[in-house]
Amino acid sequence: MRKAIAGLAVVALVATAGWVAFPRAVDAQGGGTVEVEVKYNGPAQVETIKVNKDTEQCGKEAKLEKVVVGGNKGLANAVASIVGAKGQPTGKKAVMDQKGCKFIPHVVATTPGEVDILNSDGILHNVHTYSTANPAINKAQPKFKKVMTEKFEKPEFIKVTCDVHSWMLGWIAVMPHPYFGVTNESGVAKIENAPAGKQKVEVWHETLGKVTKDVDVKPGATTKVTIEMVKK
Amino acid sequence: MSLVVGAGWLAPSAASAQPGDAGTGKAVYELKCALCHGSKGDGKGAAADLLDPRPRDFTTGVYKIRSTATKAPSDQDLFRIITVGMPGTSMPGWDVLSERDRWNLVAYIKTFAADAFKEAPKKLDLPKEVGSSEASIARGKEMYEAIECNKCHGNQGRADGPSRPELKDDWGFPIAPANLAKRWTFRGGAERSEIAMRIAGGLLGTPMPSFIDSVEKPEDIWHLTNYIASLGPEKVAYSTLVTVNGVNGEIPDDPNGEFWSKIGPSTIPLMGQVIIDPRNFNPAIDVVFVRAVYNETEIAFHLTWDDPSQSVPDAAKKLFADAVALQFPTKFVAGTERPYFLMGDGSDPVYLLRWEGGKAVEAVANGVGQVKALEGGEVVSKTVYQDGQYRVVIKRPLAGKGEERPTFQPSTFVPVAFQAWDGGAGESGARMSLTSWYYLRLEPPQSSRRFVVPPVVALLTLVAMLLIVRAASRGRRRSS
Repeated sequence: MRKAIAGLAVVALVATAGWVAFPRAVDAQGGGTVEVEVKYNGPAQVETIKVNKDTEQCGKEAKLEKVVVGGNKGLANAVASIVGAKGQPTGKKAVMDQKGCKFIPHVVATTPGEVDILNSDGILHNVHTYSTANPAINKAQPKFKKVMTEKFEKPEFIKVTCDVHSWMLGWIAVMPHPYFGVTNESGVAKIENAPAGKQKVEVWHETLGKVTKDVDVKPGATTKVTIEMVKK
Repeated sequence: MSLVVGAGWLAPSAASAQPGDAGTGKAVYELKCALCHGSKGDGKGAAADLLDPRPRDFTTGVYKIRSTATKAPSDQDLFRIITVGMPGTSMPGWDVLSERDRWNLVAYIKTFAADAFKEAPKKLDLPKEVGSSEASIARGKEMYEAIECNKCHGNQGRADGPSRPELKDDWGFPIAPANLAKRWTFRGGAERSEIAMRIAGGLLGTPMPSFIDSVEKPEDIWHLTNYIASLGPEKVAYSTLVTVNGVNGEIPDDPNGEFWSKIGPSTIPLMGQVIIDPRNFNPAIDVVFVRAVYNETEIAFHLTWDDPSQSVPDAAKKLFADAVALQFPTKFVAGTERPYFLMGDGSDPVYLLRWEGGKAVEAVANGVGQVKALEGGEVVSKTVYQDGQYRVVIKRPLAGKGEERPTFQPSTFVPVAFQAWDGGAGESGARMSLTSWYYLRLEPPQSSRRFVVPPVVALLTLVAMLLIVRAASRGRRRSS
C-alpha cells in the first residue's frame, strides 16, 4: 500500500514537473492576439414570451434570444476559435449562472473540465443538456442547491435548457484548446496568445452555424479580422 | 432493506438477464413491434402518428424507464417493459411471447443504438429504504414543495402545474407530466421502489430530471415516494354499477360539501371515441368518479374528473369548453333494449344531462351531430375547479316533463352512459371520451323504520325464547 502511494506520488511529481518544464508550445514561439469582429447583415431574432410563473424572479416577459445583433451589426454570442490548434486545458472552472431565469452568460466557452452551474434565482431550475459526445444530463437544481458542478470532457457545443422555464436557453462550448473567445454585445471576441503564423479562424453561432476565415497571426501583436455570417 | 432494493433490480419475473439472439429477435420484432416502432427502429412505424405518447425511437438509445446511473438501461429494464408494457401508453405487455423471444427482442432492440450500449450499465443505488408513515409522508410533502414538483405536476399532483403547456420531449413533441394521483398510469410501474427510482434517476428524453443529488437528504427520495404513493391508489378498481341512495331532506349542492365526500364514488373508465370521425385515439379524460343520490323530488349527480386546465373557448386556438354528459334513454322500459350508446340514432333518441363550461343543460340526441337542446327544464348545477380537478353537482326533478325527459323511479335499474370532453386538449363534438351503457340502481328509500323494527323483533324474539325456556323447565320439574 505504502509503495503504491509512493509510486503515485512519483507519478504526480513527474507529471507536475512536465507541466512546469514544458509550457505551451505557442508560448515558446510567442503568440499573438486575434481580434475577431463578427458581423451579421440580417435582423435580430428575439422572441418575447409571456411568463406565467415565478414572475418575481423571471419578470413578466422573457426573451428567447436566437440571434442578438448589437451596434454596428456586430453579432453577439458567437464563439471564435483557431482551427486545429493544440493546447492544454486552462484548468479554470467555467461558471454559468441561472439568474432572472436566463443562463448567464448565454454562451460559456471553456476547455474540457468542470463547469460550475449556479442557481442565483433561488427557485427550481433543471439543467437539461443536449449532447452527443458528452453524457447528456437532466438534473434538478432546486432552490437550496446553489452550485452544481458538472464535467464536460469532450469538445462539443452543448445546448442547455430548463424545462421548468422553457424559454431558457444557453450553450456550453467545450473547446479542444484554449485559443477561443466569445463575441461581446458589439460582436468582438479576443483570442489571446494564439499560435503565430497562418491560421484559420472559425466562428460558430447557435443559429447561424459555422464560418471560417484565414488569418496571419503576428507574434506579440494584435491581428484584426472581420468575419461575416449570413442568414441561413 | 438493501436486500429488498437489490431484489428489485432483478425483479422482472425473477428472470435474470439472459443473452438474447438479435437475429432471432429481428423476426419477432418485424412481426410484433415494427408497426409502431418502425422496421428501422426509429419510432416511425405506420401507426406512430396516431399515438400519444409516440412509440420509442430506438436509434438514440434514450429510454425513459431505467434503473441505471448510466444513459443506457439494463437488459432487465428493457425486458421488464416488453413484458409488462407501459401503462397509460399504447405499449401493451408482451407476456404472450415466450421469455426467450423477449430476451431476443432485448438483444435486437439494442442493435439500433449499439454505441449507446457499449458502456456497461451501472446500477443506480437508491438510499436506504424508508417505510411509509405519517411522518414520512409529511416530510415528503414538505420536500415536494421545497423542490417545486408542483411546477409540472401541480399542487395536488394532478399534472396541472404552470409549466405543463411548455413541456416538450427531447424530440420536440409536447409531453404531459404524470398525474401523480393516478399511480396506475405510471409508465415505469406503480410500486414504491419504481417510483423512488424514477425520482432518483429521472426519465431520460423527457423534462423529468434526476433528483438523486438534488434533495436535502438522501432519504428524502423515499419520503417523496411515500408522499406520492399517498396521493392515489396503486391500482384502480372500476365499478360496474352506480348506486343511487335515497336520502331524506334537501340535497346539498356544494360539490366540496362533506355530504358528498362521505359517499363512496363509483369509478367509471372512459375510452376514446373511435367509431366516427373525428376519432379520438388519445382521450384526455380516462376516468370519472360518480356519486348520486335522490330524495322525494330530485335526483342529484356528483361528478369528479381531472382536467389540467379550465379552458376558455377560443376557436382560433382550437380550444373548446370543457364538458361532461350523462346519457339516458328518453324512456325507461323493461328489458335489455337500449338506444345506440353513441348518442342514440334516428329511431331511438337519448336524453342528455349535459354540463358545459360551468352550466348544465338538457338535450335530446339522435346521434353525435343531432343534438337538440330542451327548453324549460329545471336542471341546476354547481361547479368547483381546483388544482386540476372538476367537481360538479347536477340536480334535476325525478319526474320528467314531457315526452323527451325520462322519469326516475325508486327501486329500478336505469341505463346510463358517460361522455367527457377536455376542451383545452381540443376535444369537442365527436372528439370525446365515453363509456358504453352502465346501470344506475335507485335504492329504495331508507326510512327510519330500520332503526325501530329490528330492535323490536330482537326484543320479541328474546321474550319468546324466555317463555320457551320457562315452559320447558316447568315441564321438567313436573315430570321429575
